[in-house]
Amino acid sequence: MSNIAAQRIQREFNEVIKSDEAQKFSIKLEMDGSDFRHINGEIAGPPDTPYESGNFKLEIKIPDTYPFNPPKVKFLTKIWHPNVSSVTGAICLDILKDQWAAAMTLRVVLLSLQALLAAAEPDDPQDAVVANQYKENRALFTSTARYWTTVHAGGKQLNPDFDKKIHTLLDLGVEKHQALVALSACDWNLDRALEQIFS
Amino acid sequence: MSDDDMGGSGDEDYYNDYYSDGHDPDVETLDKTLQDPEYFEFQCLTDTEVERFINERVEELSTSIQVTPSLAKVLLLMCQWNLSEIVSSYRADAHRLLIQCQVKPSMPANNNNTSMVSANLVSATNTSNRSTTNTPFPSNVGLMSSTSMEKAGDCVTLCSSSSKSECSSRDVVCGSNAIIQQESDVKECCCPVCLCAMKPSESSQLSCCHRFCNSCWSTYFDVEITQGITTRIECMSSHCEVLAPEDFVVPLLPRTRVREKYHQFAFADYVRSHPELRFCPGPNCTIVVRAKDNKPKRVICEACNTQFCFACGCDYHLPTSCETIRRWLTKCADDSETANYISAHTKDCPKCHICIEKNGGCNHMQCYNCKHEFCWMCLGCWRSHGSEYYECSRYKENPNIAHESVHAQAREALKKYLHYYERWENHSKSLKLECQTLNAIRTRIHAKVMAGTGTWIDWQYLLDAATLLARCRYTLQNTYPFAYFLAPGPRKDLFEYQQAQLEAEIENLSWKIERAEMTDRGDLENQMDIVEKRRTTLLTDFQP
Ligand SMILES: [Zn+2]
Ligand SMILES: [Zn+2]
Ligand SMILES: [Zn+2]
Ligand SMILES: [Zn+2]
Ligand SMILES: [Zn+2]
Ligand SMILES: [Zn+2]
Repeated sequence: MSNIAAQRIQREFNEVIKSDEAQKFSIKLEMDGSDFRHINGEIAGPPDTPYESGNFKLEIKIPDTYPFNPPKVKFLTKIWHPNVSSVTGAICLDILKDQWAAAMTLRVVLLSLQALLAAAEPDDPQDAVVANQYKENRALFTSTARYWTTVHAGGKQLNPDFDKKIHTLLDLGVEKHQALVALSACDWNLDRALEQIFS
Repeated sequence: MSDDDMGGSGDEDYYNDYYSDGHDPDVETLDKTLQDPEYFEFQCLTDTEVERFINERVEELSTSIQVTPSLAKVLLLMCQWNLSEIVSSYRADAHRLLIQCQVKPSMPANNNNTSMVSANLVSATNTSNRSTTNTPFPSNVGLMSSTSMEKAGDCVTLCSSSSKSECSSRDVVCGSNAIIQQESDVKECCCPVCLCAMKPSESSQLSCCHRFCNSCWSTYFDVEITQGITTRIECMSSHCEVLAPEDFVVPLLPRTRVREKYHQFAFADYVRSHPELRFCPGPNCTIVVRAKDNKPKRVICEACNTQFCFACGCDYHLPTSCETIRRWLTKCADDSETANYISAHTKDCPKCHICIEKNGGCNHMQCYNCKHEFCWMCLGCWRSHGSEYYECSRYKENPNIAHESVHAQAREALKKYLHYYERWENHSKSLKLECQTLNAIRTRIHAKVMAGTGTWIDWQYLLDAATLLARCRYTLQNTYPFAYFLAPGPRKDLFEYQQAQLEAEIENLSWKIERAEMTDRGDLENQMDIVEKRRTTLLTDFQP
């Protein structure tokens, strides 16, 4: 790993730790041992969004050519969002691709991801199913995203109706996350979800 | 056969005329295009010749609006080499053009503070920036004032957390007006990329005023060039799109190997962005074809003989347009498995059901067992094909399909595609088989010449016929993607009528060539004339 990358990462850590956002527990960076190439990030779900009160873990990989090439970032915490794959956690965000600039920092990346949670871009989707629900049935999208936040990211809002449907599938021997994915993708229609799982 | 016969026939004049030298080039070109819809003027250039061609354009622009060659290159690349348009928009509004071409930043200047600091820094700018100062920018210093506030902010935050002493002056400058007078303090700042202190003399900036240390620029260029990016390298600052021109990049490249790579990739970018130039797609061929019109016409590389479409660089495809052939080939690739079953080489004779293998290119088949003559494509009786309306090439759509079920519609769509695909694929195979026929004819002529029955000149007409057949078959193959995407209506009816006529005559020619020894020469030459006229008519009537 080049000197400049290691040097940059070290200072960027300090920048994030001392930042206002870190003081408010809104963004966080942690190193995986002493390896600068593997970093764990965390962002808090922005208030007044379905991600509120959730904490989302991120995997950040630093390439040898950093900061001239962007860091590789994906969500480790499962999330229901048009620009994040509900399966792999892969992110579609311009600054992580061609709009990256060497002067940008990990703090900028974390804040941009937080901004993405507050304002999705359904026309540049990573997950077509989620993006479609976002466009066609916004209310259902919001409750689904909120439910995922509760199930996976430590959110507080409960949804007994969704719980019941999940349990129906669990009783049929379906694995929990598979049940959640199928029901979310089928607009919480039990019959369609069953058809999708057992076809 | 006497020599007089060879040059004297009217048919041959018809072909030779295209290549004769005339007196008035304009009238000549117009005439040629009218006579031959495939006529196209082009030149094959070596890399030295292309380089000269490009440099001439650069120099022309550089002298006419008084800018550095390096800046001229950026403008030409960004404006598709439209020299006259660049000159007129530069004269009308140079500032706007420079923003459009990403030479100047789009954000207006809004901070006096930084502008003064920058003005101070400019005096120590490295050589590459000084050369830009020679160009008639309204004022380079004025431009410098557009330092992004976000950037300055980044720098402060990062620096303050590490080496406070290095950056204190910058810290203050960014924060308050009062300190500006202490110019002697503004000596160093930290580079926003590596966060190390940088001296003005060891750092550089583009017109956007985003300053970085030279070592970061070098590493950045190295990374970009390794990824094949040369003429489109942007400033390292966030959301800044200002491009780094050649005379900024090259002096900062320490390694010769990288410098060579830069020139090599940049050269390719210039050729690709120039509407009059096209790389020959032939393997390991370095020829660049130049033509004034960017049209989907056939060009043939002088060095490697590759034939391709000038507009898109793929295999030549008239009468189908570049866009349609691309859609067609994508569709064929997507549906390759569905179409696999039809690639059989054998079919049963429709009359006696004996298995027949196709080993020639002609689709007019004769069963070796019962002598029944039939069409390989549709297995219909050949006699009905000979009539004025040849129906085999045409796909008859179900007129009630809109009322059928989704499944029936999908089945119909597949049937339609397979109809066209089968014919496209079959003519491609025929073309290969007829290539073998051509070689066989060559061998036969050789034997005849050796045996003393005539000279090569006497038998040349056979080779001409086979060559013409290949050309016509190729056009016929390319009529199928065109027909597939053509909307139903009178135009499609006319096209399919002409396509059917062409197809029938091509099969007649193929049949006659395969039996050349039994065919009368006059008869064959007459058939050649008919086929080529049908092909020319179709290409003229259906130009993309
Ligand atoms: Zn630097
Ligand atoms: Zn810039
Ligand atoms: Zn070539
Ligand atoms: Zn083309
Ligand atoms: Zn037969
Ligand atoms: Zn037929």
